[in-house]
Amino acid sequence: MKPHEAGAPWREVWRRFRRSTIAIVALIYGCMVALCAIFAPIIANSKPLILRTPQGLRFPAVHDLAGEAQGAEEQWEGKVVLRALVAHSPNELDLMRRLQPPSSQHRFGTDDVGRDVLTRLIHGARVSLTVGFLAAAIALLVGAVLGAIAGFYGGALDWIVSRVIEIVLCFPFLFLVVAIVGLFRPSMYTIVIALGITTWTDTARYVRGEILRIRELEFAHAARAIGARDVRIIFRHLLPNALAPALVSANFSMAAAILTESSLSFLGIGVPLPAPSWGGILSLAEQYIDYAWWLVLFPGVAIFTTVAAFNVVGDRLREALDPRG
Amino acid sequence: MTAYLARRFAYAVLTFFGITVVTFALIHSVPGDPVTFYIGKAGPHTIPPAVLAAVRHEYHLDEPLWKQYGWWLRGVMTLDFGPSVIDHQPAMSRILEKLPNSVVLNGLAFLLAAITGIPIGLWSASRSGHLLERGSSVVFFLLYSLPSFWVALLLMELFAVHHNWLPLFGMTSDDYEFRSAIGRMIDRGQHMILPVLTLTYAQLAFYARFTKSALDEVIHQDFITTARAKGVSQPAVLWHHAFRNALLPLITLLGLTIPYLLSGSVIVESIFQWDGIGRLYFLSLISRDYPTVLALTVVTAVFTLLASVLADVLYAVADPRVRVEGPR
Repeated sequence: MKPHEAGAPWREVWRRFRRSTIAIVALIYGCMVALCAIFAPIIANSKPLILRTPQGLRFPAVHDLAGEAQGAEEQWEGKVVLRALVAHSPNELDLMRRLQPPSSQHRFGTDDVGRDVLTRLIHGARVSLTVGFLAAAIALLVGAVLGAIAGFYGGALDWIVSRVIEIVLCFPFLFLVVAIVGLFRPSMYTIVIALGITTWTDTARYVRGEILRIRELEFAHAARAIGARDVRIIFRHLLPNALAPALVSANFSMAAAILTESSLSFLGIGVPLPAPSWGGILSLAEQYIDYAWWLVLFPGVAIFTTVAAFNVVGDRLREALDPRG
Repeated sequence: MTAYLARRFAYAVLTFFGITVVTFALIHSVPGDPVTFYIGKAGPHTIPPAVLAAVRHEYHLDEPLWKQYGWWLRGVMTLDFGPSVIDHQPAMSRILEKLPNSVVLNGLAFLLAAITGIPIGLWSASRSGHLLERGSSVVFFLLYSLPSFWVALLLMELFAVHHNWLPLFGMTSDDYEFRSAIGRMIDRGQHMILPVLTLTYAQLAFYARFTKSALDEVIHQDFITTARAKGVSQPAVLWHHAFRNALLPLITLLGLTIPYLLSGSVIVESIFQWDGIGRLYFLSLISRDYPTVLALTVVTAVFTLLASVLADVLYAVADPRVRVEGPR
C-alpha cells in the first residue's frame, strides 16, 4: 500500500461526518472558541494593537500572546493606530464601575471589582480549553498505552489493567477529582492531573477491545512474521488502527473536563483568582444573583455552548466511524 | 453459575483492598496532617508541644505508614473510621446522620428521571429517524451538556429571586419548628423542588439516550427481523421481543446509578445548601477532616463495588450467555 492510500478510510469518515449540519456547526464553533483562546491577548487587551512611536511602529498587545495579559494601565508614548477589538484587559480593575449592566463600553457588563466580563470570558477560554485539552491528552495517552498493552499481551497484564480500571471506576468521579484538587493546592495543573488520571479508563477499555479485535488480523501476523518487535507492532501497526474509538472518547473527555473545571472553579477549588475562568465568574454571580443577571447569563452560555460543541463533534464522529451507519 | 459467582466475589474482595490502598495513599500523599491544620487555626505558638504530640498519638500519626494503614484497615472492617477532627463525633455517625437527606433527594430525582427518561427512550427508538425524534434527540443531547450549577443558578434566579415562589436554599424554613405536621411536609417539599429538578434533567437525558441505544442495538438483530417477517405487529415486536432484551443493559445502568443515591451530588448539594453526603464531603475536604473524608470515600466506593457485583449477578441470572462466557 502506498502511503497516501493509508488516509483513505479517514476521508470516508470525513465524508460521512460532513453530512450532518449540526456536526459542522459544532466543529466551526469549537474552532472559533479555540481561536479566541489562542489569540485572546490580541482580541481583548487594554494595550493598543498597533502604536506609532517616533522610533517606528510598535505592537504592545502581541507581546502578551505567549503569557498572561496584565491589567496595569500604562502610558503609551506615541499615537494609537489600532486598538484591540475589546479594549480591556482581564485584570484591569475599575472600582468606579462595579457591577455595571451591559453598555457600549462594557458589552457584557462588569463584575464586582469593575473588570470587563467579555474580556474575562475571552481570556477564560484559554483556561478552559487548556485544561480540557491537557486532561484529554493525558487520558488519551494513559488510556491508549495501558489499553493497548492489556489487549496485546492479555494474560496477567490484561488482568492487572482490568483490576486497576475496576478500582478507579468504584470511586464516584467527582469525589475523586474534588479530593485530589482540594487536598493538594488547587491550580490549573492539579485539575489537569486529577481529570487525566480519573478519565483514562474509558479510553483504555475502548482501545483494549479494539486491539483484541485486530491483533489476530493478517497484517498483525505479517508484522510478526517479518520479525517486528512487540513495541513496533503495538505502536506502529495496531494502535493507529485502534485510535478511532479513542478519538471519540477524547472528544467526550474534553467536554467533561471543561465542565468539571468550571464546576470546580465555581465551588472555589478550581483555577485560583485572579486568573479568569468561566466557573469563577459564575461563583461571583451566585453572590449577586438578585440583580447582576449578566454575570449569570454570559459565562453559563459560554460553558454550555463549548461543552455541547465537543460533545456533538464526538457523537457525530462516533456515528461516522460506525460501519453500520 | 457457582464458578462464575465465586470468581466475581474473589475479584470484588481484591478490588476492595485496592480501594482502601488507593484512598489511604491519596490522603497520605497530601502535604500536612490534621495537626498542622490545628496549628494553622490557632497560630504556631499557642499550642504546647505536648498537646500536639497527644493529638498525633490519638490519630496514630506518630507511627510508621504501614502501621497506620493497618490500624485504619482494622477500623474500616468494623466501620470505625475514628473521630472527626471537627467535632470528635465518630466519622461514621456523621455520615449516617446526613445519609437520609441525600437518599431522599437523589432517590426522588432518580425515580423522576427513570420514569420519564426510559419511556422517552422507548418512544424515540420506535420512531427512529422521524423528524420529531431527531429534533428531540438533539435537545436531549444538549441537555447533557448543561452545567448543573448554572441550571441551579437560573432556577434560583427565576423561582426564588424574581418570583419568590420557592425558597432559595436550605432544607427547611426558619419557622419550621412552629409549623404543623402538614405545614412541615409542605415546607420540606418546597425546599426539595429546585434541587430535584437540577438533579433530574441530566439523568433524564442520559436514560433516554441509553434506553434508545440499547433498543437500537436489539432491533438490528436477526430474531427481530424474523418476528417482523412472520407478521408480528410493530408494538408487539417492540414490547415482547425487543424491550425484554434491551432490559439487560438497563440492569447494568441501574447498578451504576444506585451508588449515586449515596454519594449524592457535591455540586447541587453545595449550591442549595442541602445537608447531605455530597456537601458533607466537600466541607470535610475543605476543613481537612481526614477521618470523615476517608470514611466517605471508602463507604461510597465499597457501595459502588457492591452495586456492580449485584448488577453482574442479576445480569448472569437474566442472561445465560454471561454464565457460560464468564466475566470480562
